[in-house]
Amino acid sequence: MTASFDNSLNGELESAVRDNRIPPCPLALEKISQEMSKPDPDFRHLTQIISSDVALAAGLVRLANSPFFGSRRRVASVNEALMLLGLNTSSQAVACIALGNVFPSMPAMERFWDASAQIAKLSGWLAREQKWPGVRPEEAYTYGLFRDCGIAVLLQHFPHYVRILQDANNEALRTFTDVEDELLPTNHVVMGSMMTQSWWLPENICKAVRHHHDIKHDMGRKDAPFRYLVAISQLAEYLLQQNTGRSKTHEWEKLGEVCLQQLDLDEEAVQALEAKANEVLAERE
Amino acid sequence: MPINDTNTIAGLLSRARCVQLAQYMIDGARPGSIAALWINLDRFQQVNHSFGYTGGNKILSIIANRLELATGNGVHLGHMGADEFLCLLPTEGLSQAVALAEHIMTMLEEPIMLNETKLHPVARIGIALLEPDEDSVSLLQRADQAMYLAKRNGKRWLQAEGDITAASGSCSILANTELEIESKLHQAIESGGLSLHYQPILRKDGSIDAVEALMRCTVNGRDISPTLFIPVAEKTGLITRLGEWTMSQGAIFARQLDEAGYPIKVAVNISRAQLLAPHFSQALSSALIYAALPADRLELELTESLFMDMSPTVQENLCDARAAGVGLAIDDFGTGYSCLANLKDIHAAKLKLDRAFAIALPEDSRAFAIVKAMTRLGQELGMTVVAEGVETKEQMHALLHAGVDAAQGYLYARAMSGDDLLAWLKVHKKKHVACVRKLSHDSLVR
Repeated sequence: MTASFDNSLNGELESAVRDNRIPPCPLALEKISQEMSKPDPDFRHLTQIISSDVALAAGLVRLANSPFFGSRRRVASVNEALMLLGLNTSSQAVACIALGNVFPSMPAMERFWDASAQIAKLSGWLAREQKWPGVRPEEAYTYGLFRDCGIAVLLQHFPHYVRILQDANNEALRTFTDVEDELLPTNHVVMGSMMTQSWWLPENICKAVRHHHDIKHDMGRKDAPFRYLVAISQLAEYLLQQNTGRSKTHEWEKLGEVCLQQLDLDEEAVQALEAKANEVLAERE
Repeated sequence: MPINDTNTIAGLLSRARCVQLAQYMIDGARPGSIAALWINLDRFQQVNHSFGYTGGNKILSIIANRLELATGNGVHLGHMGADEFLCLLPTEGLSQAVALAEHIMTMLEEPIMLNETKLHPVARIGIALLEPDEDSVSLLQRADQAMYLAKRNGKRWLQAEGDITAASGSCSILANTELEIESKLHQAIESGGLSLHYQPILRKDGSIDAVEALMRCTVNGRDISPTLFIPVAEKTGLITRLGEWTMSQGAIFARQLDEAGYPIKVAVNISRAQLLAPHFSQALSSALIYAALPADRLELELTESLFMDMSPTVQENLCDARAAGVGLAIDDFGTGYSCLANLKDIHAAKLKLDRAFAIALPEDSRAFAIVKAMTRLGQELGMTVVAEGVETKEQMHALLHAGVDAAQGYLYARAMSGDDLLAWLKVHKKKHVACVRKLSHDSLVR
């Protein structure tokens, strides 16, 4: 589906770009990516940059010790966390921490981030428990957090996007993005993948952000890791809905079957996971 | 060596288990579908000498940990003894195995701090793909030998002899540059190795008309030339991914320029594949919204190869872009697939004359006549005409005489990083205004 720019959309695009802005890429991430492309990355310099932001430093150490960013050893400092996780994984951890600081707190946004955090937690847990091929728990966690970041960008730019979001959530037949494409010059999956690319997140995550509403379509290899990421997060969202009654959508009705096939799970297995998910959601960080 | 086949590293398979597992994977597998990567650390003995058994073990467990992080769940990891590791994986072919090898090397070669000493591990990898009727012992041996050869020949990694590629007649020592470039491109996308450089386009009065964004690709501190990576990106379809990134980063930079007090347009090159891909319009809108950039501050440069086949999708996407207020420029005009009918249909705002014309000036009077006629044609169609590849003052005199509106080339500035461009704009703005004004004046006086 291609969006066309009729006159009203032109005007909308114009007013959308006039004000609100998102930092193109947080400084710490930019610095990590710069170091990553060097043959001899300067860890001391990165440690200094991250340590100068207390919240970021604490967040990185916490994530490095979390089950999703999976190390057997506990770390106590930024330097240790960077060494142990390596630059690629550190970069994902920093992105996760930075994401929360980027968007201003409005009530709609808070609910949205809260749901994303829960989906991320469940996705990380599912990946760790089930060990699907090519899927790392930290990637599933990061993806869960970033999957819908395009929604946050659009919420900031288009005041009436809340309504479009409701329509898309209530749409039982057409794909979620078809609803957006009809009413906006872009949709949250294209916007989201642009943001994750800009933040140097792994390509699997960028691809999974881009395709999380069209996993039904044949897109190359069935065992491609990004397809697992999509299926895991959809399952995580379903488990969240079942457990809390929140974040209601029709996505599981549209995509559940394909996702379960991808993950090689049956209804019985899902029911078992549902019971356990309740405990995971109740766990304190 | 204090450490031998003890295989005490938690979570990694022992040598014997690796042989068993490889055999299990091989049974029923088709040739080429299983890869073994034999990984060895350079100069590990020195670490043992300097830091003793405990230090050596610490390094090995860090390396093992990084290997686990570098590989997915479908990859089996083994410790083959001392400083040698093995990855076993089902693969679709060599490029996938090479990409993993490159990724592993990047991860392993991050410095390690040991007792306040920074160590730089260097990994060598031998790659073997399953041959017809091969057993696991032979597969692992070939991977080991390839690693040994890589070490001896100073290569970072090497493909084993006698594999599928070699059987089809190609060289056993892998020098398939396209594959290497493709894998490096993937690495650059994953690890922050892409950047944009910007080359200014100056109007006759010395003011800046736009800056053209040009992609750079750096892997492990080394630049890969665009003449090498662009054709590979086009061939493999990666160009769409790179093109979207360029659009968003170009838009972000245009916004930065604006904030620095330079409301200058940024022009990005658009490939045919991008215009044929679904969601081009959404990607363009997303770039503008993400950067909070007004549409008229972004320009799309269309290479002439695009006009080989103006499919309805391409036309529709160009039409949408123009309707949104994004400027279109026709790049490299006058060579290749120039077709006047396209000029009529595309409604571009800018015509960029191929560098071949500027280079032929001022001596070549026929080139001059063509430039003059093309300039007139472009201007009659309401386009700004830009001469590309201007290197000397003499060329510029001739071009101004032919009537071009703007110019781009080494005479004014090379492509430079965003930061350098901001500095250039600050320092050289006045100087260039004066210089070009003088040129313009001189040519009119003649």
